[in-house]
Amino acid sequence: MWRAFFLLVLTLDAIAQSPQELVNDAIAKQRAGDLEGAVKGYREFLKEHPEATPIRSNLGAALVGLGQFQEAITEYKIALKQSPSAPGLRLNLALAYYKTGRIGDATDELVRVHKESPGNSQATVLLADCYMRMGQNKDVIRVLRPEQQKHRDDMAFVYLLGTALIRDHQVSEGQVLVDQILRNGDSAEAHLMLGTSKMEAADFAGAREELAKAVALNPDLPGVHVLYGQALQVTSGPEEATKEFKSELAIDPYNYMANLQIGATLRQEQKFDEAKPYLERALATRPGDLAVRYQLAAIALSEGKADEARRELESIVKESPSFTEAHVSLSIAYFRLKRPTDGNREKSIVEKLTAEAQAKQPGMKAR
Amino acid sequence: MKISRREWLRLAAAFGATRFWGQQAGDVQRAPLFVEVPASQSGINWVHDNAMSPEHYLPETLGPGCAFLDFDNDGWMDIFLVNSGPCDFWKPAKPVRNALYKNNRDGTFTDVTEKAGVSGAAFGMGIAVGDYDNDGWPDIFVTAYGKCTLYRNNHDGTFTDVTEKAGVATPGWTTSAVWFDYDNDGRLDLFVCSFVDYSGEHKFECGDNKIGKKYYCIPRVFRPTASFLYHNNGDGTFTEVSKGTDIAKALGKGLGVVATDINNDGRMDLFVANDTVQNFLFVNRGPGANGKWKWEEIALQAGVGFSESGQARSGMGVDATDLNSSGWQDLFVANVDHEMFSVYQNNQDETFRDVAQANEVAQATRLLSGWGLKYFDYDNDGSVDLILANGHPDDMIDGYSMQVKYKEPLLLFHQGNDRKLHNVSGQAGPAFQKFLPARGLAVGDFDNDGALDVLIGNNGGPPLLLKNQAAKAENWLGLKLEGVQSNRDGVGARIIWTAGGRKHQRLKNNGGSYLSSHDPREVLGIGSVPKIDEVEIHWPAPSKQIDKITALPINRYVRVVEGKGILGERKGD
Repeated sequence: MWRAFFLLVLTLDAIAQSPQELVNDAIAKQRAGDLEGAVKGYREFLKEHPEATPIRSNLGAALVGLGQFQEAITEYKIALKQSPSAPGLRLNLALAYYKTGRIGDATDELVRVHKESPGNSQATVLLADCYMRMGQNKDVIRVLRPEQQKHRDDMAFVYLLGTALIRDHQVSEGQVLVDQILRNGDSAEAHLMLGTSKMEAADFAGAREELAKAVALNPDLPGVHVLYGQALQVTSGPEEATKEFKSELAIDPYNYMANLQIGATLRQEQKFDEAKPYLERALATRPGDLAVRYQLAAIALSEGKADEARRELESIVKESPSFTEAHVSLSIAYFRLKRPTDGNREKSIVEKLTAEAQAKQPGMKAR
Repeated sequence: MKISRREWLRLAAAFGATRFWGQQAGDVQRAPLFVEVPASQSGINWVHDNAMSPEHYLPETLGPGCAFLDFDNDGWMDIFLVNSGPCDFWKPAKPVRNALYKNNRDGTFTDVTEKAGVSGAAFGMGIAVGDYDNDGWPDIFVTAYGKCTLYRNNHDGTFTDVTEKAGVATPGWTTSAVWFDYDNDGRLDLFVCSFVDYSGEHKFECGDNKIGKKYYCIPRVFRPTASFLYHNNGDGTFTEVSKGTDIAKALGKGLGVVATDINNDGRMDLFVANDTVQNFLFVNRGPGANGKWKWEEIALQAGVGFSESGQARSGMGVDATDLNSSGWQDLFVANVDHEMFSVYQNNQDETFRDVAQANEVAQATRLLSGWGLKYFDYDNDGSVDLILANGHPDDMIDGYSMQVKYKEPLLLFHQGNDRKLHNVSGQAGPAFQKFLPARGLAVGDFDNDGALDVLIGNNGGPPLLLKNQAAKAENWLGLKLEGVQSNRDGVGARIIWTAGGRKHQRLKNNGGSYLSSHDPREVLGIGSVPKIDEVEIHWPAPSKQIDKITALPINRYVRVVEGKGILGERKGD
């Protein structure tokens, strides 16, 4: 992907010999792996010619290569402003967002790319992957299904769609794709999908076995450590699970679930300062996510920051009025802030929600 | 089976238990803290019948409770064990009965159940012992799925069922109960926990589990119920007084209750553990303007109703004590596996915070389900320790969980000099390496040596009696409180004692644990300090008498009568 941009450098007839040499030198350095040298050359050139969008794009690629994603995003955004329809720029911006865990921003860009270039398979798969990371399984299915025939032999594609179907409880359809992967031999993808199916069916011990096999076959398979960790969380405990979540983060530092699970475990252990960075990374991946925001609010409450907790919890219950745990915590926050009327109002909501949940229990009708 | 010292050392080595708690010098191997007293030695051959059936009716898995009590007032703790019995889903093929064992004062017991008339005829659950008629003889309330029973002590080794006459025939499924004087009129009142609505001819079933068998429903599926508060009228009868109060409004699934005073206002409050719904903390606000007693349920705002994640847990056993010598009562609640148990520290403003993580309790209990428990000073060093009895309610859990087991080990925690509870189960003795379906737990000194022993009721099995060997080298004084104007059992009295320049205090709470009742005497441990300088007894209202006692004996039990001081003593055996 990044390599393609070396070819995008246009002829620089209008540029004086010296700047041309500067650019040629920077490109040569980039090709040779001297990214810092390339960045220096591109920046020097852009001082004199800020309108040179392709060179700015090259600068973005070099910055990405250096892991300076935020700077790359800045350059890509300027370039896109200059040339909104330049091919590949938006996809590269999306990739930079993706790499920094800003999955929501990446998705916004990819939706536009997908709309403008529906045949761009890379953008389609990446968009589906973003949706999956945000837990939007139905969107994964919506984006991938039209392409299914075209990619029927692409195991990565099949795996992504199959996983989304299973997670969306469309197990029988998902199973067809699992079988397709299984026909291709004993693969990590197949065991991961089987493990996912078993997790969905609450067969945690079975899931644990499948996922252990998936990890053994391909420890770099995206998401494999998270699912294995979740199975271990139920069947073993947080220590073993946390090891797996950390393995996932070694591959993908912005994995939402791994960050959330580690953060929640640390919060439960009252290690609040250690929990916060994980939760903040999870929130960066899924901006506005209620589960993460609740964890952070609960930490604030435990740390005695009742007003900070109140603000977040008020926002959470506004968005999700039946979030009982948030009402519990909000009630406590109000009482700590010496606002008993509000505290009692929230307490009544907790009682009402609890009674409604109780009324749905099957044993209520037993006579 | 009695374990010899040699066998213990071998077992201890096998379990890596070669170190004692705390910072003991070197790797000296010592005797276990507690040793099992086998049935062959104690004579306690009774076995709990849990009535387990293929249908898996929920009451089968909840019992039994147990108690230490001195029913014949001879100064030696006797034992009561609650059993199941006939009910709407079970007709026993052979007679099933409770058991009352008289202490023979030599480490053995004699079954006197039939003579005492306390066999029971219902599906028994728990026991609460208290002298409700202030006659100096302990009476017994047995809870049940079905008919609960109040046995009045006849002073001659027998009891009379006075349930109906007394007006405490409580409907439904009762579990733990506690005697306490909520209105400070000098008479013990009665609070009775009610579990779920399990009525109806056809019991609801939750289908088959993963191994194709019927299993015990999680109580979440059943309708919650309100608990009951009975006021003692002073004439042998009671009046239910919970109607119209928060006690009646709060629909729960009560399993454990402790009576304590969380705000030091001189009125006893109630902490109730509920299964799958929030716990309740009923604060006693005294008489209202309309003359009706006011109870305020404040568990949510107090921080003891839900987990730190705002979720209701499966509360079972409870207790209260002044864990950190702050002068304020802290609370404890045991839950099921993966919920962890809570050590609630009193913030002295009617709120609490869970300090289980800092006390080694959270991690130790992550995979366990806790029932009977007790805060007590097992080694008489003057600091409160903790014992927990555990067991999963699902008898088939081993079949589909990789870590959680049906039978679970006991846990023992010792409070160190850092004021934290440390898990010393690995050093407590072979009994703590056993896996048990434990439910009820009572603490009491059955051999009058000043070291509090432990009795555990096992579901579908024989009870476990543990003799305490941990306090042999330490000094102590045992108090049998006798109220005159205040209730005879002295429930609600505050005991303050000074020894070696250190001041201690204890509130005489009542209830706690699960389905069980403890030795009513208070043992004051003072470690290696040779004497207690002074004891103050702050009797509860109506007298609010303060008795200061000096020239105290050591290592023996004394009878302390309100307003009169020590009126008798018994040397420690």
